[in-house]
Amino acid sequence: MLAKSFYMIRNNLHEFGIIFAYSGYVTEPILTGLADALKTKLLIDSTDKKTARNVFSIFIEQMQNVIRYSAETSPPDSKPGTELRYGVMAIGYEREKYFIVCGNKVKQQDVPRLKASLSEIRQLDKDGLRALYNAKLRAPTDPEGKGAGLGFIEIARRSSQVIDFDFLAIDDDLAFFCLKAFV
Amino acid sequence: MKSIKIDRTSRTPEIEFDFDNSVFAIRGESYPENVVEFYGPLISELENYFSNLGAGASIEFDFDWVYFNSSTAKVVMSLFESLERVARHGANTTVCWYYDADNDMMKENGEEFAEELTGAKFVLIEKGK
Repeated sequence: MLAKSFYMIRNNLHEFGIIFAYSGYVTEPILTGLADALKTKLLIDSTDKKTARNVFSIFIEQMQNVIRYSAETSPPDSKPGTELRYGVMAIGYEREKYFIVCGNKVKQQDVPRLKASLSEIRQLDKDGLRALYNAKLRAPTDPEGKGAGLGFIEIARRSSQVIDFDFLAIDDDLAFFCLKAFV
Repeated sequence: MKSIKIDRTSRTPEIEFDFDNSVFAIRGESYPENVVEFYGPLISELENYFSNLGAGASIEFDFDWVYFNSSTAKVVMSLFESLERVARHGANTTVCWYYDADNDMMKENGEEFAEELTGAKFVLIEKGK
């Protein structure tokens, strides 16, 4: 029974074309391990270099977003910098494209801002993304954020089609944010 | 000034700062656990060195990236700004940007950073085929 039920999970993931899946607290050491494994996998699969680079960089940006911004922390309400952050991510292959999807809880109050940024990014073509990227690169660093706001733009630039994102309200305080990129 | 030599790791680049000969190089991958922790001290050393440079000095700064994340990109931009400042103050400054022949995104990134440079010279170098 144990093997059967867990094998079902394995098969379900396979059916979705998933080659890597991680659900748990994402720490930098975990990112190091996953990144190394992903590099090796892409090499073994003889994925063409350009695709491999894009898949890898999208993965890094998504994971570092979870590490910095996931609202699901352990312990809850912990001091910034000491907490572990929870996220779910999967890398897979469907309809001849790689996909990298990542999900984590966010504060409801952050949803409008995230939606606005991502909606803007979705509407831009390659030249528009480049221009936005260059503008953000030169803008002063946001003192509150640990990132440069460049991550989403980088993900969009590396994708072969428009990024997909969604928010699911969980309760008054939290929502689940999901971002999917294709290469 | 004592030169700085840091070996590359899977997540951080090789650093070779030769202050005596004014040749600086950053090579490899960059997605450190903490960008400020890794680059902060290096930038301090560079700023210190730049502010004490005599007029007519010659500097070469080489970037030879395999990959860098968006946090690193911010650091690279600030380095380009520093190098441009140093050039405007009279130093003969050359920035070399290496890229693999099959990596047009890396070439493009170099050209984007290079828009900062008017006083400093920018050289794009294609590696191998």
